[in-house]
Amino acid sequence: MQENYLAKWLNNELSEQELEEFKKTKEYASYKKIADFSSKLDAPNFDSNKALEEIKRKRSLKNTKVIHLSPIKRFLRIAAVVVILISASYFYFNTLDETVYTDLAENNSITLPDASMVLLNADSKLSYNKDHWDNNRNVILKGEAYFKVAKGKKFTVETADGLVTVLGTHFNVKNRKDIFEVTCFEGLVSVTHKGNTIKLPAGTSFLILNSKNIPVEGPKTLEPSWINNESSFKSMPLKYVLSEFERQYNVKIETNNIDTNIIFTGTFSNKQMNIALNSICLPNKIKFKLEKNKVLLYAENAP
Amino acid sequence: MSSQKNNVCEEQVYNMLYKTNSKTVFNYIYYKFGNEEKAYDAVQEAFIKLWENCSKVTPEKAKSYVYTIANNLYLNVLKAEKVRLKYADKSLAISNESPEFLLEEKEYHKKLEKALSDLPENQRTTFLLNRIDGKKYAEIAEMEGVSIKAIEKRMHLALKSLREKIEGL
Repeated sequence: MQENYLAKWLNNELSEQELEEFKKTKEYASYKKIADFSSKLDAPNFDSNKALEEIKRKRSLKNTKVIHLSPIKRFLRIAAVVVILISASYFYFNTLDETVYTDLAENNSITLPDASMVLLNADSKLSYNKDHWDNNRNVILKGEAYFKVAKGKKFTVETADGLVTVLGTHFNVKNRKDIFEVTCFEGLVSVTHKGNTIKLPAGTSFLILNSKNIPVEGPKTLEPSWINNESSFKSMPLKYVLSEFERQYNVKIETNNIDTNIIFTGTFSNKQMNIALNSICLPNKIKFKLEKNKVLLYAENAP
Repeated sequence: MSSQKNNVCEEQVYNMLYKTNSKTVFNYIYYKFGNEEKAYDAVQEAFIKLWENCSKVTPEKAKSYVYTIANNLYLNVLKAEKVRLKYADKSLAISNESPEFLLEEKEYHKKLEKALSDLPENQRTTFLLNRIDGKKYAEIAEMEGVSIKAIEKRMHLALKSLREKIEGL
């Protein structure tokens, strides 16, 4: 019998003689039964149509879901994000506004990129953009500052209460609680307050007090008095004078039996507190007591 | 044949390949491991791979490609389970054979199933592909990546040990 004759037999490859010989063996019946029986077996059901449908669903899912990226593309994506972040933050920090603060009882002078000068009074804040200065001479002011603007393009001072626009002049902007005051010392400034714009020639002032436009006399000096360490007031309610005093000396003022709405005209020194207190108190018949960081004002005739 | 027809990426070509081969791939994996669920997954996985690489695989190569993928998928993962095969003799189902005979058949089926499960994996797969799926030795040789002679050897040995097992030798 040839090699692997069982396989040959199943495949009908045995010669007649071999087949006869094989059929005579006692094993033949068993093999025949195994061969017959096994050919009638079946594997578990497999519905190829259904399975194909399923594959198509999966395929379309995969097609939309899986985006094959080469490692390089992946790396490039990450790199791109990093580059964007770096450049964005670089840009952000570089275009951040420059901000100058003054504390209570402190003055500061700032030279802007175009050599314009700003003198910042106590407790004030000025911010501007260094990088776009040539195209955009724009500063944001909180508090009080005196500007000596170099000639050039439009120069704008933004405050909470209004805009001051100039081409090149000397002017003072004071924006404190309830007060918006612009004083022009040289040239011409335009002030925009609540949508109204007025032109302010040299030697005039514009005052908004408690949202009301108060006509005021222009300055008699060529510079605001505070530049020379003196705060001056014209027909100003006392409470605003006292606020300024607090800012200049970094003290707290308490009043007792005093009408802080009385009108005050005059000046006080920003350097010598005692003299300054006298300048405020004497004309108004007010007595003062100086404690540490605290000033108590009370009426002269009070006990 | 136009290049269009010659491309597995063509829906029609792909569907054709699926319909003609999926059942046998399923059986092939099932005979190996005796796990219906895994056999099903293997078919699907293999054909999805075929689709993904449809531009690289020619229709002629697609068949053996799918077998290779399906096979590799569970080669080292799956522990063989018992192969369960339905006995599908239609003549028997409607026959009026005696209950004794039917019982005997049932017994025999059990014995054969057991004997099949005890066969080495490659012998069982080869044997069942031939008996159930009617695959020629040449085809099985291609699926398994061995020579026809090796398949004949497996068939021979399979038959021999089946008989020995069944007869309790």
